[in-house]
Amino acid sequence: MAKHFRSGDAGHLPNQRKSGGIGPPDELPRQRRGTTPQMYGRYPDWDVLSQQGHWDIVTRNVVLDRVQKVPPFRFFNEEERRTLKAFSDRVTAQDKEPRIPVMSMVDAKLDAGELDGYQFAGMPDDRDVWRIVARGLDETAREAGGHDFASLSEEAQRQIVGRMADGELEGGSWEELDVSKAWSVVTRHILSAFYSHPWAWNEIGFGGPAYPRGYAAFGVGTKEHWEPDPAFDVDPVTDTQDRGLE
Amino acid sequence: MKTPRNIFKGSIRPPDNDSAFILHPHKRGVPNVGRMAHYRDDDEVDMLIVGCGAGGGVLSQRLARRGWRVVVLERGPFWDPDRDWVSDEAGSHKLYWTDKRIVGGSDPVQMGKNNSGHGVGGSMVHYAGYTPRFHPSDFETYTRDGVGADWPISYWDLKEHYERCEAELPVAGQHWPWGDPHGYPMGPHPIGGSAEVAWKGAEDCGIEMRVGPVAITNGAFGNRPHCIYRGFCLEACKVNAKGSPLITHVPDAIEHGAEIRADCMAIRVEYDESAGRVTGVTYLRDGQEHFQRAAAVAVAGYSIETPRLLLNSKSARFPNGLANSNDQVGRYVMVQGASQTAARFAEPMHMYKAPPPEVSSEQFYETDESRGFARGFSIQTVSPMPIGWSEHVIADGHWGYALREYMRDYIHWTVLGVLNELLPHPENRVTLTDEPDQYGMPIPRFDYSQSDNDRANIAYSKKVIQDIWEHADAQDTLTIDRYAHLVGGCRMGDDPDESVVNSDHQSWEVPNLFITDGSVMPTQGSANPALTIMALASRLADRLTSKRVDAQGLRAVPSG
Ligand SMILES: Cc1cc2nc3c(=O)[nH]c(=O)nc-3n(C[C@H](O)[C@H](O)[C@H](O)COP(=O)(O)OP(=O)(O)OC[C@H]3O[C@@H](n4cnc5c(N)ncnc54)[C@H](O)[C@@H]3O)c2cc1C
Ligand code: SF4
Repeated sequence: MAKHFRSGDAGHLPNQRKSGGIGPPDELPRQRRGTTPQMYGRYPDWDVLSQQGHWDIVTRNVVLDRVQKVPPFRFFNEEERRTLKAFSDRVTAQDKEPRIPVMSMVDAKLDAGELDGYQFAGMPDDRDVWRIVARGLDETAREAGGHDFASLSEEAQRQIVGRMADGELEGGSWEELDVSKAWSVVTRHILSAFYSHPWAWNEIGFGGPAYPRGYAAFGVGTKEHWEPDPAFDVDPVTDTQDRGLE
Repeated sequence: MKTPRNIFKGSIRPPDNDSAFILHPHKRGVPNVGRMAHYRDDDEVDMLIVGCGAGGGVLSQRLARRGWRVVVLERGPFWDPDRDWVSDEAGSHKLYWTDKRIVGGSDPVQMGKNNSGHGVGGSMVHYAGYTPRFHPSDFETYTRDGVGADWPISYWDLKEHYERCEAELPVAGQHWPWGDPHGYPMGPHPIGGSAEVAWKGAEDCGIEMRVGPVAITNGAFGNRPHCIYRGFCLEACKVNAKGSPLITHVPDAIEHGAEIRADCMAIRVEYDESAGRVTGVTYLRDGQEHFQRAAAVAVAGYSIETPRLLLNSKSARFPNGLANSNDQVGRYVMVQGASQTAARFAEPMHMYKAPPPEVSSEQFYETDESRGFARGFSIQTVSPMPIGWSEHVIADGHWGYALREYMRDYIHWTVLGVLNELLPHPENRVTLTDEPDQYGMPIPRFDYSQSDNDRANIAYSKKVIQDIWEHADAQDTLTIDRYAHLVGGCRMGDDPDESVVNSDHQSWEVPNLFITDGSVMPTQGSANPALTIMALASRLADRLTSKRVDAQGLRAVPSG
C-alpha cells in the first residue's frame, strides 16, 4: 500500500477503513435520475441513457438491448438458478431491487457458447464449472444446516462466498475442481455482465459509449459539460427526508 | 531532436502504400472490397498467406505491390467498423479469438480478450496501439547478457522497415531517447489526467517518460481522421484513427490484386513428398473443405495458431508436424509480464477518456547488474474500462460491498503497467490435445512457467511503479499480476537444430514454407511486439521480391 496518503478523501475505501468489514453504503445518496442497482450511487443525477442520442446506432442497439431485453433462462435449471442468483447477489452486493439481472445475462452467454477462450488445465469446461459450483454451494449450505444455499441468511451466504474467494471450500463437488480457479471463472462472467449494464455505469459515473462524440476535456480534474458531478457529501438522511422518500 | 517533419500536422504520404488515401473520408469500411480479385482454388497463386494480422497483412501488401499473386486466408470476418464495431466493452467480445485453449504450467496464461484477435487486421484491431521499436540489444541478448538467444538478424537489418512501417501506421510521439534514438512522423498527442499524474510521479523519482509512441493519427492522414480521444482503443477504433493492417495495408494490397479471403479457417498445410515442397493449404469455409494451390505458403496465425497449424499438418515425412523433425515447433513461446498498479487521487482522473496508451518509459529496458536479474522492463499507462477495472479490483481480493465501493470510486483512479522481458524457455510451449474443436482440429494446449530471473524482474518492476505512485501522492493503490502479448513458438535462428526458420523466415526443411508473424521471434524485449512483427514481414517481402531468398525455395518467382 502507498504510504503517503493524503488525509480524508480516500477514507471510505475498504483498504483504508480503520474498522474491518464494510456493509451496505447507507451513507450514499438515493438515485434521483435514471436507475442504479439498489438505487444508490455517487452520482444521483447521472443517467447515462439520457446520452443515447449521441451514440452511434450500432452501439445504441447493443446497449439498449442489454437493458430492455432480459434474456430468458435456458442454460440453468430451476435449482441452479435459485442458488446462483443468490450467489451472484452476494458477489455483487445486490441486496434489494432494482437488481441488474446478472445471472440471466450469464445464462445467455453460456447457452450461446460465448466463452472466454481458455480453460485451465485440469479444470472442466466453463459451463461445467458453473454447474459444479451451484452443486457445491448447496452442499456446503447443507453442511451449515440449511436446505440449500439460497435459503441461508445473507450473512451465512456471504461467509461461504468468502471461503470460496479464499479457495477454502472442500469435499463433495468441490473436489472436482480447483476452487480458486473456479472463483476466477465465475466472477469473471458475473463482473462482465454487471459492469456492462448502464445502471452500473450510472452508479460509478462512467460516461458510456463515446462515438462519434469523443472527449475534449480529459485533463486532471476536468470534465465535459454533460458529465456528472459526484455528490459524495450529500447526507443521505437529510437527502431522503428532504425529498419525502422516508 | 525533433525531426522537422513534425511541424506538419497532417499527412506525409508514404511512397509505396496508398491505403490511407484509398479509404473513404466518411465511411470506415475498406471501400475497394467490391473490386477485389478472386482466385480459384486450383489457380496456383504465388504466395498463400494464412492469417491477416500484423505479419500477414503487411506481407500481402508488399508482395501484391510487386506483382505477386497473393491470397490471404483469414479465419475471422472482413470487419466493417461502421457496421460491426461498437463503442462498448462487452459488445466487443466478437473481436477476440475465443476458441478453447487449454492453459497449463506453473504460471498459466489467461488467453481470450487479452491475447489474440481474429478477422482482417488480426490482433491489432483491438491492440492498445503502442508501437515502440525493439532496442539493438534485443537481437543479441545471449552475447551481451548470457540469457535468451541471439537473433540471426540485427536491429540494423530492420531499421529501414521500422521507419517505413512507422510512416504507414503512422506513429505519433515525442522524440525517443532509448535504444537507437529516433523521431516519429507525427507529433505527440495531448495527454489526459492519468498520464499527467504518472508523469509527475515518475519525474519526482528521476524516471524519464515520453508521450507515445502510438499508431494513432494526430491530425488527418489521407482519409483517416484525427483521434477523437474516446478511449475505446481496445474495443477497436470506429474512427479509423488507430492503425491496424485492416486500414494501413489491406486497402493497398487489394488495390494491387491481392485477395483477402475472410471466414476461412486453414486446417492443414499440404506437403508433397516427391517434390519436397508444400503445395497449398486445406481450409474450411462454411463447413466445406477446400484446397488452395500455391507456389509458396506463409503462415502468420500468431504464436498459438501458427505452431498448431504446423503440428496438425502431419505427413509420412513429418509425422510430428510439418517442418518439425527437430521438435522445435511450438517451443519458446513467450509472454511479457504485465503487472499493473492502480492509484487513487483526490481529483477526478476519468481514465476512460483519451487512448489508454499515452506515456511510457524505457529507462529500465537494458540489463543493470545491480538489480539482480538480466534484461529489464518498460512502463506504460493503461486505462481499463469498467469491466477491466472490476477485474482489477476483484483480483486484489475485493468482492461484494467492497467491490462496489472501489467501483464507485472509478473516476478517481488511474493505472500504470509494466512490460517485463520474460526469457524464452523450451518447455513454455504449444502442443496439441486429443480433444477436437469445431473444425475437427485438435485443441491446443499452452504451458507456461516463469524462471527465477522472470520472477525477480517482475518483483523489481512492481516496486518501481509503486514508487512512482507514491511520489505522485496517490491515496491508495491496488496491484495485480498479469501477462500481455505472445511471441515465439517457431523461432528463427542460425542453427537448423535449434530453430524452425532461418533469417529469411524460411523453414529449414521445406524451402517454400515461410513463417511471418510474431512466432518467429527468438526473444521479446520489453517493447510491445506489433511494430516489430510488421517490420519483419516488410523486410522479408523486400528479400523475396528482390530475389535475395535462396532461389530453390520458390519455383515461380514472379518478376517485379
Ligand atoms: C488487448 C491487446 C492489446 C495489445 N496491445 C498492443 C500494443 O499496444 N502494442 C503492440 O505492439 N502489440 C499489442 N498487442 C499485441 C499485438 O496485437 C500482436 O502482437 C500482433 O497483432 C501479432 O501479430 P501477428 O501477425 O503475429 O498475429 P495476429 O495479428 O494475431 O494475426 C493472426 C491472424 O491469423 C488468423 N489466423 C490464425 N490461425 C488461422 C488459421 N488457421 N486460418 C486462418 N486464419 C488464421 C487470426 O484470425 C488472425 O487474424 C496487443 C494485443 C492484445 C490482444
Ligand atoms: S481514442 Fe482515438 S484511437 Fe483510440 S479508439 Fe478512440 S478515436 Fe480511436
